[in-house]
Amino acid sequence: MLEIRDLSKRFGQTRALDGVSLQVEAGQMVGIVGRSGAGKSTLLRGINGLTTPSGGCVRYAGVDVSALRGRHRRDWRRRCAMIFQQFNLVHRLDVLTNVLAGRVAHRSTPRTLCKLFSRRERALAALTLERVGMAEQILQRADTLSGGQQQRVAIARALIQEPEVILADEPIASLDPHNASLVLETLREINRHEGISVLLNVHTVEMARAHCDRILGMRDGRVVFDGTPDELDERSLAAIYDMPRAAESAPEASTPAAAGADAGGLAAVN
Amino acid sequence: MALTAASITPEEMDRLQANYPRAFKRPWWEQARQWAVWSALLAFVGYCLVRFDAAPGRIWDGLSELGVILSAMVPPTFGAAPSGLFWALLESLTMAFLGTLTAALLAIPLGIMGARNIIPNWVFHFVLRRHFDGIRGIDPLVWALVYVRAVGLGPIAGTLAIATSDTGTLAKLYAEAIETADSGQAEGVAATGAGRSIVIRLGVLPQVLPVMLSNALYMFESNTRSATILGIVGAGGIGFELSDRIRAHRWDEVGMIIIMIVVTVALIDGLSHLIRKRFIEGGKNRPLVRTDEAT
Repeated sequence: MLEIRDLSKRFGQTRALDGVSLQVEAGQMVGIVGRSGAGKSTLLRGINGLTTPSGGCVRYAGVDVSALRGRHRRDWRRRCAMIFQQFNLVHRLDVLTNVLAGRVAHRSTPRTLCKLFSRRERALAALTLERVGMAEQILQRADTLSGGQQQRVAIARALIQEPEVILADEPIASLDPHNASLVLETLREINRHEGISVLLNVHTVEMARAHCDRILGMRDGRVVFDGTPDELDERSLAAIYDMPRAAESAPEASTPAAAGADAGGLAAVN
Repeated sequence: MALTAASITPEEMDRLQANYPRAFKRPWWEQARQWAVWSALLAFVGYCLVRFDAAPGRIWDGLSELGVILSAMVPPTFGAAPSGLFWALLESLTMAFLGTLTAALLAIPLGIMGARNIIPNWVFHFVLRRHFDGIRGIDPLVWALVYVRAVGLGPIAGTLAIATSDTGTLAKLYAEAIETADSGQAEGVAATGAGRSIVIRLGVLPQVLPVMLSNALYMFESNTRSATILGIVGAGGIGFELSDRIRAHRWDEVGMIIIMIVVTVALIDGLSHLIRKRFIEGGKNRPLVRTDEAT
């Protein structure tokens, strides 16, 4: 079980996270919605340790993982894999090597530096790529793939870490609707079959509704909604997005331009 | 159903290897080709060493002779006319500065003309680019020899030598930078009804100016070093003093000149680092590999 207690993060004067507390049971798929700047990314990065919190802590299976350093923190990162909006694959490496990069924590550094991978590891990479439907492209260079394909390779790289938690930071924000659904279905399938907990930031409320067990709404660094998709009604959407008829216009409300326009007109858009 | 390395059965591995053979082992001809390339490289290095008669004994003797010269440089002295050395060094610096500046400015129009995405005529592009290659293919030292004949001994010859050689190099680098510029930004300017020169000025140059400045600075650093050499062929600067002392075996003064050159080059490197920080990086300085956040 993942437990977040009173987690805070300040950037100068801004409070990106303002005392967030929540628990995620093993095997849950949680969608986090909210406007740009609500603290969704900071929350995920705080869990993974990419951002050091200013206050509070993250506990996993009884251990305070936010206090871990060095080798122990790297091991924690191996156990909570990260997926990014821009996929963050290495363009000039083929799909296979990109996926095998996810094994680093399981093997010795010199062997990885020489790119020596065992038959078992290669088989695991191929099997994982079959799982996300990308095995046919196993020897293709990463930058020859479409966005949706790259994100599925990134999911395979995360899976091969043998993680217990997957943190996905806007994984579908750069994808068209068809590929977006495909990526979320892949994550959902992994969540069901492997029992891996998934925490997912999404811009579109409908996507979160369709694929998640539980939805968190964030606003100004705080959790303002926590419930099932059914419980997410117009009133709670208004609380998250602060707009009338939020159910219809919520997705637009979270684009940077709209958030900027709220903050101070045209000047903020620039 | 778990996806773990430990749970894969041998049968599963066989099936995967049969389906994706190249993911497990590269075909024999690829491996053979790799071996051939490495063996050929090694053989060539060996052949060169034999041709140069690079026997270990010879290199060892040479190194001990070098030791004798180095010990003769200690302690370094300024010799009879210290101020002469300082003026000569300043002259080298001025040659590097004027030469690089001239080249950096001349290379801007040439670089724009040489960019394939600005003038998409391949004949023009090919001819112009080969001219750049020709100019920069000749070392500044050779240009210096030519200019010493043409304009006489002194720093003018050195400045022209640097300017000529670097115009070719910078024009090529600028042209390549412009070719990698994002066409979307230029399109954004063109869509407002701007003409060709405005599109270049507002849509292309802002993208490539940091690269241009960075390249020019690098050339200035590099020229500070090469300007110290040009004097050897009579093109002005500290190089003349240096070769003069070497011929006369006044190693203690050679030592001092080398120290002066090293200090100057280090100062120029430091200066250009400051300029780079101020104008090119624009305040952001994100580490490439970050495993921890500084708090």
